[in-house]
Amino acid sequence: MNLRASKTQDAVIPTASMADVAFLLIIFFLVTFQIEVDKTQVELPKTDIRLEVPEDSAYVSVTESGFIRVSSGEEISVQVPSAEEVFSMASSVVAQDPGKAFVLKADRNVPYRAVDEVIDALKRANVRNVYLLSQQEIRDSTGGGSSGGGGQ
Amino acid sequence: MKIDKRNKVSDEIPTSSMADVAFLLIIYFMVTSTFAATRGLDFALPEQEDNPPMIEKEESVLIEIQPSGQYVVDNQPMQLSDILDYLKPKLERNPLKPVIIRPDPAAPYGYMVDVFDELRQGAEKGVEVKNISIPTQREIEAFWY
Repeated sequence: MNLRASKTQDAVIPTASMADVAFLLIIFFLVTFQIEVDKTQVELPKTDIRLEVPEDSAYVSVTESGFIRVSSGEEISVQVPSAEEVFSMASSVVAQDPGKAFVLKADRNVPYRAVDEVIDALKRANVRNVYLLSQQEIRDSTGGGSSGGGGQ
Repeated sequence: MKIDKRNKVSDEIPTSSMADVAFLLIIYFMVTSTFAATRGLDFALPEQEDNPPMIEKEESVLIEIQPSGQYVVDNQPMQLSDILDYLKPKLERNPLKPVIIRPDPAAPYGYMVDVFDELRQGAEKGVEVKNISIPTQREIEAFWY
């Protein structure tokens, strides 16, 4: 029986194209990367209906303790002392672009009073489109879902 | 003249570490990027009118949200899932019947979004609520009483 190895193959993994693949991935990340203008950490309410928020929307965020941060959509959000500042920011944004969408990013545990003041400021500033930012509601398969007066 | 060719320099660009650099950059982007929530409920605010249409309280359905999160619809405590069933016969009679959501100032915001989401889903369940209104405290004080 002839067991002589006729050919020896090099044990090399071809890595020449690895860089190409990696750079393609980098380009993908760079192209899809969106600058997040508001990085406020809030616990968003959960909803079933969720529509895509237009790009470059202005942001108003309300934290659980009632702190308000605003951004016109072009720069990083800044904290403001009261809802009255939201009104002045929204008025100047609407004066430039009457159709500008505003995103309200409020914590689901914040007392409604704080959100009410912000919505009132936006209404007074003639804002037309507001999006209430939310997370996807996940329901169990039994169809029970959210239960009336009970909390989540 | 004698030209010494013994020290021959390789004319290749060393690219073996390129992949390492590229993957490091990928890891950096992945770690620093956050998943931004970019979806939500749209909420069209009414245009400012000099003479807003007056709605009689009796013509509309009033959904109050108590600080505990309990829903009270036309003075009856109700579960969130029962609200659409309650609205169905009323909306069949008058499809434009206004539904007013009035959260207590101390009620958590999440409950308002829950009921708003439930009403918006009515369209899929055959109970389309066309006229949802969430008056602000200032409007309530100005027009309600």
